[in-house]
Amino acid sequence: MIESIISYGLAMGAAYALIAVAYNVMFSTSRVFSFTAGALGMLGGVCGALFIDRLGLPGVVGLLATLAFCAVVGVVTEFVAVRPVLRSLDQHLYVLSTLALCLMIQQFTAIEWSTVPQPFPQLIPVDLLGIRERFWMPVVACVLVVGGLELLYRHSMIGRAFLAIAEDNFAARALGLPERGLRVASYALAGAIGGLAGFASGGIMLAFFANVSPFNFYGFIPVALGSIGNNRGAIVAGIALGLFQQAANFLVGGVFSSVAVFSVFIVALLIVPQGLFGAPPARRV
Amino acid sequence: MSVTRRGVLYGSLGAAAAGLSARQAAAAGEPIRFGWLTALTGANSAPGLGYDRSIRYTVNKINAAGGINGRKIELITRDSQGDPAKAVNAAMEMASNLKVHAVFGPVNSGEALATTPIFTRFKIPSLGICVVNSLIDPVKFPNAFRLSPDNSQWDDAVRHYLLDILKAKKVAVIGDNTGFGTMATALAVENFKKAGAEVVYDAVIEANAQDVSPNLIRARSAGAEAIACWSDSTGLDARLMNARGQIGWDVVMAGHPALGSGDVAHLLEKPEYWNKVYTVGYRSCSFDAAGKLPPRQAAYIEEVRGKFELQDTLLWWVLAGVDAVTLVAEAVQKTGSSDSDKIIGYWNSQKKWPGLYGDYAFSPQEHNGYPTNDIVMSAANTSRDGALNIAPGYAS
Amino acid sequence: MSQVMLRDSANETPRQAPLRFVRKLAPFVGLFGLACLLPLTDNAYFGLIIGRAAVYWVLVSGLNLVVGFAGQIAIGWGVALLALGAYVTSVLTAGTAFAPVSPYLALAAAGVIGAIASVIIGLPALRLRAFYFAVTTIGFATIVTQIAMAWQSVTGGGIGVVGPTFGGVFSTTWGFYYFCLAAAALCTWLSANIGSSRFGRALLAIRDAEVAAEASGISKPVMLTLIFLFAGAVGGVSGGLFASLQTYITPDAFTIDLSILFFIAILIGGRGSIIGPLFSTVLLTLLPEVAAPLAAWATFLYAALLLAIVLLVPGGFANLFDFKSRKPLETGRIIRPNEEILPGLLSAAKARGPIDIENVVLSFGGVRAIDGLSLAITPGEVHGLIGPNGSGKTTVLNAISGYYRPDSGTVRLHGAALPSGAPQTRAGIGIARTFQNPRIVGEASVLANVMIGGTVLGKSTFIETVLSLGRYRREERELRERAMLALAAVGLERLADVRTDRLQHSELRFLEIARALMLDPAFLLLDEPAAGLAGDEIQLLGALITAISRTGVGVLLIEHHTDLVFDICEQVTVLNLGRTLAKGTPAEIMAHQDVIDAYLGG
Repeated sequence: MIESIISYGLAMGAAYALIAVAYNVMFSTSRVFSFTAGALGMLGGVCGALFIDRLGLPGVVGLLATLAFCAVVGVVTEFVAVRPVLRSLDQHLYVLSTLALCLMIQQFTAIEWSTVPQPFPQLIPVDLLGIRERFWMPVVACVLVVGGLELLYRHSMIGRAFLAIAEDNFAARALGLPERGLRVASYALAGAIGGLAGFASGGIMLAFFANVSPFNFYGFIPVALGSIGNNRGAIVAGIALGLFQQAANFLVGGVFSSVAVFSVFIVALLIVPQGLFGAPPARRV
Repeated sequence: MSVTRRGVLYGSLGAAAAGLSARQAAAAGEPIRFGWLTALTGANSAPGLGYDRSIRYTVNKINAAGGINGRKIELITRDSQGDPAKAVNAAMEMASNLKVHAVFGPVNSGEALATTPIFTRFKIPSLGICVVNSLIDPVKFPNAFRLSPDNSQWDDAVRHYLLDILKAKKVAVIGDNTGFGTMATALAVENFKKAGAEVVYDAVIEANAQDVSPNLIRARSAGAEAIACWSDSTGLDARLMNARGQIGWDVVMAGHPALGSGDVAHLLEKPEYWNKVYTVGYRSCSFDAAGKLPPRQAAYIEEVRGKFELQDTLLWWVLAGVDAVTLVAEAVQKTGSSDSDKIIGYWNSQKKWPGLYGDYAFSPQEHNGYPTNDIVMSAANTSRDGALNIAPGYAS
Repeated sequence: MSQVMLRDSANETPRQAPLRFVRKLAPFVGLFGLACLLPLTDNAYFGLIIGRAAVYWVLVSGLNLVVGFAGQIAIGWGVALLALGAYVTSVLTAGTAFAPVSPYLALAAAGVIGAIASVIIGLPALRLRAFYFAVTTIGFATIVTQIAMAWQSVTGGGIGVVGPTFGGVFSTTWGFYYFCLAAAALCTWLSANIGSSRFGRALLAIRDAEVAAEASGISKPVMLTLIFLFAGAVGGVSGGLFASLQTYITPDAFTIDLSILFFIAILIGGRGSIIGPLFSTVLLTLLPEVAAPLAAWATFLYAALLLAIVLLVPGGFANLFDFKSRKPLETGRIIRPNEEILPGLLSAAKARGPIDIENVVLSFGGVRAIDGLSLAITPGEVHGLIGPNGSGKTTVLNAISGYYRPDSGTVRLHGAALPSGAPQTRAGIGIARTFQNPRIVGEASVLANVMIGGTVLGKSTFIETVLSLGRYRREERELRERAMLALAAVGLERLADVRTDRLQHSELRFLEIARALMLDPAFLLLDEPAAGLAGDEIQLLGALITAISRTGVGVLLIEHHTDLVFDICEQVTVLNLGRTLAKGTPAEIMAHQDVIDAYLGG
């Protein structure tokens, strides 16, 4: 039983953490949270099943095609739902524009793909160190993404440019950084990361259009509790969430576990609105 | 699948349009307006799509043969999408605006519970296929008849099979957290206890829950000898079977017809995880030990072969659709009228109406027409033409 | 004399006022009149659909104040309240928890419980960012249906519970229809009363100019609590009516799609409007019935509509049909302040003593923005505060108006310390201010913006306002007259009815002064009021400020235009890097060598 809590908890926690990283990457260059993060996770699973199972592509090609497709969805998000509302950030129109786009993606998938969960292909027929693919894949994906991001941010020009924009948008633009180009790039990157989250957890979540809401909601909790923009915080909070949710599943059962997760989330957020790993908000006048 | 579903939707629209033009052309009299309301898109649309095929086929067949007493049947289809609010709107439209003569549906409990009082208010003869017990009540809803068994009958069949045929003493009951799932789980637990069996574990699980192994491990450690499973969510059913296989437990699972759905098959990690799973089935739709369907049903399958798809649906949905249209058509034909009283009166007088899905027995006091003895369990992994093999242990 | 001039200045003869009222009322009367005639069709289907629109509108009328007026993105709120109201009414009527009660009593209970739940769902808005709050409301919507599903003994679980039937004349199709229609009409009236009152204007200020709202004495927690209470009450009642309309309720009737429909209705209708969301609620309820072939794509189309609205017409229908605001404004407008009016607007000699700032130190993250500043603002005098950019001038103003808490030192008003960190308390004690970047509600009229400044003058309660009782109506009239006076004083009276976002920058500066004058302030803090003004406008501004101070108001003037400062100030303080570089009369300052070196330039 403990084994089940840990294997599912870690795997789902890693998937939530990846969605949280996707939220963060989009936020860093645009100051916008996008509801499409959950849609990307859903698409990762559906595209994996579509490319590998339906179209018969080899696993690696299917993965790359999924990531490419989700990156395109990320870029579309930037063009359609984010860029037009950036001018009036204080009106929070982005909440509605990204929600609208997210619903459109979800509904389109429901009608054109399927309304019942579809199987997700197994890529490697043997287990790794006795652990099944569906359990190790999200964790490995999470480690690779976070490691990759750290490398990118610390050791490349483009990564430093990202950080500069995240730190101070106006200053970065004044320095002549291609703010728009970097924003588009970050949305493409976030798209691929969100898609990877769905692809890696496909064995557990299946290829199912309704996965948008759980990905959105449980993916946002690590962002909020781990503090905005803090990927390490997101990983810690994501894993903790996965384990807590799975333990609650065992202890109090399905319906009450989601109530438990939500209650803990609300209470924690009201006590520390800036998250567990962040600084209090800056002055506003 | 998506293509066929949309095809169905457009097809039914086409049929509705054809019905309209037929109405203009009909000189012999007003068409018989047959309302067909259920979820045809969305998550709960699988049964609706099954019924829809045979309903359209049967209506077209009757109209091609000149209709009933010279009157064409006008099929009025409304897709409720599983939303009770949309179902109520559509029911009111059918009853008040389109003035249908009879109505069939909806399948889902939330919708049927809300639409039944509306059809009663307008005295529309209605044939139900939702299994919720409280929907049939000749005093409260004198216009409402049920073609399918009710939930108790399903429950009886599963309990009978597990306790009397397989001789299980300790059972586990697992359902999903939808309306139907919670209700059926509660009923099963109560009835098992009444029948003297020990319910060692019962649980209601979220339909989209990813990990159900905790539930099965608990059921196993509680000593369950069989599992009654009441979920129409194919995802949950498949996850239960996968978890059962992974923990290496060869316990019998028996319950809701969805356990035998083709969607479950896709989601199984290994085909053998589908062994020892039994679903509610019907003698009319079961292959006997010799692999044969009853003659009338076998003949029907031959008749429609190539005309519409049977492999990805369940035969009893298809047959019930035929029976619904036929029951309305015959009532109009025999009484010479499409008046509400005449149709209801005709149905009330049927002691043993020989349908394809079953032989229904209605009376003014009993509107649950399906014969309990015709409900049997079938082996989930044996689908051919939407029909299943009868489960082992039944006397033929 | 001023009365005559004001009527004239609003471009309106006494005969036109009722005409405008009628024109405003006409669409409501038309819509409800048509709805009243519907039973003539004797088609229960039409009755159901329009009845449903009426029931939805009961909820949306409240949510509109939360979303459209106060700008709170409560996406999941709608369906959470609808479900709660439906279950409370049904459960109490059916008697699954207690002995059955009358459906009317149950409906009232749904209103009360809805109001309480609404506050619980809504108040995290005070602490959370917009997106966070949106997510939590969606979470609440999910939780409500899950509880309904799990609490079988009371709610019937997935099998649900019978909806209430209202007895007697309301038990028939059309009887119940009129019942819903009456509820909708009542809620329209109630929400319109709130929307056009000081509460409605305060909500708009919270939405678009939160800082200005605080400076005007508007308490966001109080306002949001009141509005969530009201919206929750009507939302709960709407749920009860919904349950009766559905005849039977199960958790699957309360999908998040429904919540999004409510939300879209408000945005399409137009934020800050009542008639717009009313029309679009009816439209969105009708649309799926008319466009049946598109049923499967309904959610997709709603989402596409939402996206289109957000991107293309953020103002919604209300803006689209606001033809008045497309008529070009008179060009080459000149602002003509009329100082003669001021004595009628500002009561003389109300301040009993000065504002004293002593040794205030205030730092941000280790940087000392103010480093030991002392100055006094004396009634009847203009005190100039000048200094280079970043010298801490605005920080001083913010410390006085209570946005910042000084690390040490005191800010006193005739001897009593002013509480820091509580900017909404300043208006009540007669301290008004303007902002470096004008903070206004662009979509509201100039008059409404000025009236926001007088929010604390209103003494009528929320209940009196909702019911439009005598005291409220009298106060509202007085407030309007006073705002017209204030506009006349600063020279903007001809623009009273114009949407504020159509004004020029210089006009906004004067508008902010008019808003500040509404308070009848003892002290007026002006943050660079001359920035962006032309030379002649600066002269007019100087005369206006002088005239204001003559009535006994103590003025703090932060400015870069030193000519203006030296021209009108009695005392001047020069700041540099948070420290006082010099203080004295303009003549002394102009001669001060340090000031000339550091600031005035040589």
